[in-house]
Amino acid sequence: MQKTTSDRLRGTLDALVLTALSNGPLHGYGISRWLANRSSKALRVEEGTLYPALYRLERVGSIDAEWGMSELGRRARFYRLSPAGEQQLAVEVRTFAEFIAAVSPILLPQLSRGETA
Amino acid sequence: MTSSEGRLRRLLRSRILGPSIDGQIDEELDVHTELVVRELMAEGFDEPAARREALLRLGDRRQVAEACHRQARGYERTLRRGVLWDELRQDLVYAVRQLRRARSFTLLAMLTLAVGLGATTALFSVVHGIVLRSFPFAHPERTVLLLEQFRDEGSEFSVGNYVDLCARDRNFEAIAAMNFLALNLAEGTEPERVVAATVNGDFFKVFGISPQLGRTFDGSETEPGHEAVAVLSYALWRSQFGGDRAVIGRVVHLSSQGYRIIGVMPPSFDPTGSHEKLWVPFVFTPAQRAQHDEHYLDVVGLLKKDSSLEATKAEMGVGMRELTRRFPNANTGRSAVRLQTISAWVLGDLPHRLYILLGAVGLVLLIACANVASLLLARGTTRQSEFALRAAIGAGSRRLVRQLLTESAVLGLAAGALGALIAEALLKIFVRLAPPDIPRLDEVGVDGAVLGFALVISLGASVLFGLVPALRSGRQGPHSLLRGGMSSVGRHYDLLRSGLVACEVALALTLLVGAGLLIRSSIHLQNLPLGFDAAGAEVSRIGLPESAYPQPRAVVAAFEQIVAGLQQQPGVRFAAAGSGTPLGRGATNNGLLPEGLPFAPENLIDSMLHVVTPSYFQTLRIPLVAGRTFTTADRSGGERVMVVSRTLARRAFGDRNPIGKRLACCEEDPAARMHTVIGVVGDVRTRGPAAEFAPEFYVPITQTPAEGWTWLQRTLTLVVRSDSRAMATAALRKAVHDVDPTLPVAVTSFGEGLDARLAEQRFHTALLLGLGVLGFLLATVGIYTVVAYFVHQRTREIGIRLTLGASRMRIVQHLTTQGAVPLIGGLLIGAAAALGTSHWLEGQLYGVTAKDPLTFVAVIAVLGLTGWLAILVPALRAMRIDPRRAIADI
Repeated sequence: MQKTTSDRLRGTLDALVLTALSNGPLHGYGISRWLANRSSKALRVEEGTLYPALYRLERVGSIDAEWGMSELGRRARFYRLSPAGEQQLAVEVRTFAEFIAAVSPILLPQLSRGETA
Repeated sequence: MTSSEGRLRRLLRSRILGPSIDGQIDEELDVHTELVVRELMAEGFDEPAARREALLRLGDRRQVAEACHRQARGYERTLRRGVLWDELRQDLVYAVRQLRRARSFTLLAMLTLAVGLGATTALFSVVHGIVLRSFPFAHPERTVLLLEQFRDEGSEFSVGNYVDLCARDRNFEAIAAMNFLALNLAEGTEPERVVAATVNGDFFKVFGISPQLGRTFDGSETEPGHEAVAVLSYALWRSQFGGDRAVIGRVVHLSSQGYRIIGVMPPSFDPTGSHEKLWVPFVFTPAQRAQHDEHYLDVVGLLKKDSSLEATKAEMGVGMRELTRRFPNANTGRSAVRLQTISAWVLGDLPHRLYILLGAVGLVLLIACANVASLLLARGTTRQSEFALRAAIGAGSRRLVRQLLTESAVLGLAAGALGALIAEALLKIFVRLAPPDIPRLDEVGVDGAVLGFALVISLGASVLFGLVPALRSGRQGPHSLLRGGMSSVGRHYDLLRSGLVACEVALALTLLVGAGLLIRSSIHLQNLPLGFDAAGAEVSRIGLPESAYPQPRAVVAAFEQIVAGLQQQPGVRFAAAGSGTPLGRGATNNGLLPEGLPFAPENLIDSMLHVVTPSYFQTLRIPLVAGRTFTTADRSGGERVMVVSRTLARRAFGDRNPIGKRLACCEEDPAARMHTVIGVVGDVRTRGPAAEFAPEFYVPITQTPAEGWTWLQRTLTLVVRSDSRAMATAALRKAVHDVDPTLPVAVTSFGEGLDARLAEQRFHTALLLGLGVLGFLLATVGIYTVVAYFVHQRTREIGIRLTLGASRMRIVQHLTTQGAVPLIGGLLIGAAAALGTSHWLEGQLYGVTAKDPLTFVAVIAVLGLTGWLAILVPALRAMRIDPRRAIADI
């Protein structure tokens, strides 16, 4: 089935979360910090989006969760990339690359035109 | 997801899946918030501000938690359902808006449907209340009535046969015999005549109903040597005993005998629909137990769980034949046992008649649906541009069909709600007008099952009338908008409309043929000679208690005295007493043997006995055909005489003169058996206005057969012809109370009794006629709207044709021909359908066959003519079209 726009957005978020976890287990706050740092604070994934996404990825088996100790000294849930998640990440990245490759020649000239206007 | 559902789910999860996912999410979000607070404080916020900011960023915590929940459980499904629901809601809003915009269409369609749905729902509630609802017994499916099979008919059991056959049968959990008896209840100021059931065996156990008060009697109390006890019906307890609970244990006098009241049954207890007012034990005497003749017991039983109706019937048939071998004289012609559930017996052929009415009302509903469908089709064409526009902006054709069906469903449900109100009103009228002897009529009402039915048929009807137009518009793509103009009416549309017209005509024809046949039957019955004159006569049944009148001589003397007294009363012109008067109860039959023939079952003529005073024939105006009627000289001890009906005379003696011939009957004693025929009288429809003539014979009251007063329960009907009803009533009271002031006297009009007998047939005919007319009107309106719409659509085309020189006559001819094709087709289909279904009415037709040509021709003519007028009127309007204006509209 062809992917719809909402699928693509979700796929992008999944890819971002999976990438954050590809360096090791993180808790929710850790993931959002990682994404913010990596994007020079441009990307702020809201809690209302992040946590549901984590629960979804856990349900479909892309990530696993277990309790661990947070820096506060309280326990927190740490998420870890599963083998299925690694595969999904590869697919999402490729799909995203294809999308960018397809859309860029159309949209990027608009950008320069918008700048000149 | 609603929050209550969420709560439930959370609860389920915490109970079933161990640690709550909720706590987990909460904990996670807490940690997250703390970490954000720390981060913010590091950026320079003070703690309260950091906390405020962190909570602000988190947003609605509950919403986040719920979103996590949904994700953990499968978000996609919920999402899809949500989309569907959203679309449905959109469709509903849109449908209501559309229907409100087309106000006259909506009103017309809704009224048409509501009438059809209302009538159908009302009739269904009648069927449900009377037929479908189970009878109020513990085990209605095993509660049966037993009859002896006598030739082609069912007959009551004799005590001997009951004791030897039924009471011993092992297939029954409980079995009882009953007989009805009118007793004089001396309670209050005036003695009252109440119908009682005398029962033997485990009568109350058969039905499994507990008393409301006190107790019922069991098998042992119907054995000899017990105190006489009585169980009251609720109605009698209220009316005669004021609903006094202290009535239990009291002794009441019934026909001069004391009975101790031991219980009161609940109001709904009327197991055989006979409306008896109390129950007393029937203690068989040894003589009765030995008596295999005299068949008067109704036997009821509760079959054991593992006994089948058919097997029990077969088994008992063997026993019955054995009894017939042992007692050939008493059991002549009795070869089997009939067994049917009490519900089937009480309802008789009523379910059949009700289902016919339900079918008829269903036809009306179908016609209404066809009308609405054609209205929708017409609307569909005017809405084409709307659909095309919606299709063009991206609505899929499936979506369009769904939306149109939603519109139909909204229309159907609104009409259904209105129909339910109409049904409620119709039902009230039905119950008020219906003849009172329809069983369980007072329990009919609109309840949950009926409303469920209304909902289902409303939705069904919506699909029926909405689907075809919806599919049509679904098929039209945006291209139809571009095409528009001239040929917007496709061939399909015409075919579809023609089909609808044909259907309506066919349905209406089927309905009208049924109504026509019943009307002809009604006319036939109305004109049928009854053989006696009921008009202007008043009747009263008088029963003499055995305790006060033990000797037959005393009974005869009392009745003779009463009749003599009656004839002296002012205003009384004729007065008589007799048993087995027409329309009355208490008739008994005897097998008559013409002199000279050997005693064999095939020679016996089963005839109805009438014990009468000499003035009987004059009072009822039964014509004398030959010989003479009785005089006061025909006394007991003299020559035994009888008067026979024409049918009996023909049956017994053929063409020979019956006067002076002799017939044996009614007595065990051979010396007393022979009766000389002294006269022949006209036939009388004793068993009702629709019954065939049957052999009947009359004997003078003074020569009543030895057992006669037992058979008749010492009861005769007094008949009085006088100047006014009031006078007759006064005369009857006076004459009876002069002889015995303890006897209750209730006077009824003979003519009204006759009307009541015809009432049910008439009511049924009126209902079917009403439905026929309704269907007929709907169909006519339907044809008219279709043709009128057709003409309206063709206005431009007709204008062009007129401009091009076509004559106006030619246009009308063209239009009527086009309309006539479906009309004739419908008539043909309808005639075939009516021929195929009219035999369902056969049991209710009198003097007319189910394929009566006159009815068929008349209905086809009426429907054809009206249909043609419905076509002609709009066609003539087309003639007046102004060609210039018609074309200018293009």
